[in-house]
Amino acid sequence: QPPRSCEDYWWEWKHCRGLRHAFHHYYTHGELPACGRWREDYEACRAWERGRAAAAQVPPGPAVWKLRKSPPPDWYLPLD
Amino acid sequence: DGAEAASPAAEEKAGEEEEDDLGYRLFPDRNKKPQSFLVRSLFTFHNRCQLMLRMTLDTNPYAQLLLEAMKQSGCTVFNDRHFSCENCDGCVSGGFDSATSQIVLCQNNIRQQSHMNRVVTHELIHAFDHCRAHVDWFKNVKHLACSEIRAANLSGDCTLMNEIARFKFGLKGHHQTCVRDRAIRSILAVRKVSKETAEKAVDEVFDACFNDLEPFGRIPHSKTDAKRAYRDFQNRDRYNANL
Repeated sequence: QPPRSCEDYWWEWKHCRGLRHAFHHYYTHGELPACGRWREDYEACRAWERGRAAAAQVPPGPAVWKLRKSPPPDWYLPLD
Repeated sequence: DGAEAASPAAEEKAGEEEEDDLGYRLFPDRNKKPQSFLVRSLFTFHNRCQLMLRMTLDTNPYAQLLLEAMKQSGCTVFNDRHFSCENCDGCVSGGFDSATSQIVLCQNNIRQQSHMNRVVTHELIHAFDHCRAHVDWFKNVKHLACSEIRAANLSGDCTLMNEIARFKFGLKGHHQTCVRDRAIRSILAVRKVSKETAEKAVDEVFDACFNDLEPFGRIPHSKTDAKRAYRDFQNRDRYNANL
């Protein structure tokens, strides 16, 4: 995930601690959310802005399908 | 509420049996000569479908985000080319036909704007997957399962309200149960595979595909969430352009 403006992480932390989000998270994952991560991300973002340290990119896990290099060739073909 | 099914590609019309295998029986108006303009304009189902579709594409943040994401992936969606309002069998609400790159909307089964919003989002997710990855719609059940999991997860199919309306009651982590069940049902609707095969495929890819939140970046639980995701998506693009 590319870094976002630091204010976004602050918003995410505040949103995470809200009641509505807590309910949705419980419904989706079966447990209450852990919001500490967003706070840490915010602090890291601030540190990054100050020090310009390289943001750690989390590599994605093994994919089910292979990504395309170009869109499907027949996407725009007219219908017969 | 009807079950959504993804109608996969058929390279050639190889006969009734293969068509049945690939789910085309649910969409009897596919591969038929389109009716004349006059006849079509008299049918109010068709008009209503077109109007609701237009409303969704113009105002719904889920759909708008997907349209933007598809445009960026090189598959700009055109209303008159990539959508088709048709009559369908059974209680199917829509499908994605990768043979023609079209999203089929069941004009006889979609009666409310909120339902149209959900069906369009669901099918656009299939179209998005088709656009960005080599999805083998009709030979690889795991690929189909993955797209169905994502579509059920991200389109709002499994909100608490929708589940309650289906008389499916559950709270703790119920969203995942719903996603899993709907994915299995969708596979069984368009494939002649056993329930065990469908369940096995869904379970094998569930973790990877449930956590693949592209292009939303989050599971949108409401239009507000979707608007936020849309804004983040646009900013993401700006960030990458600046690099």
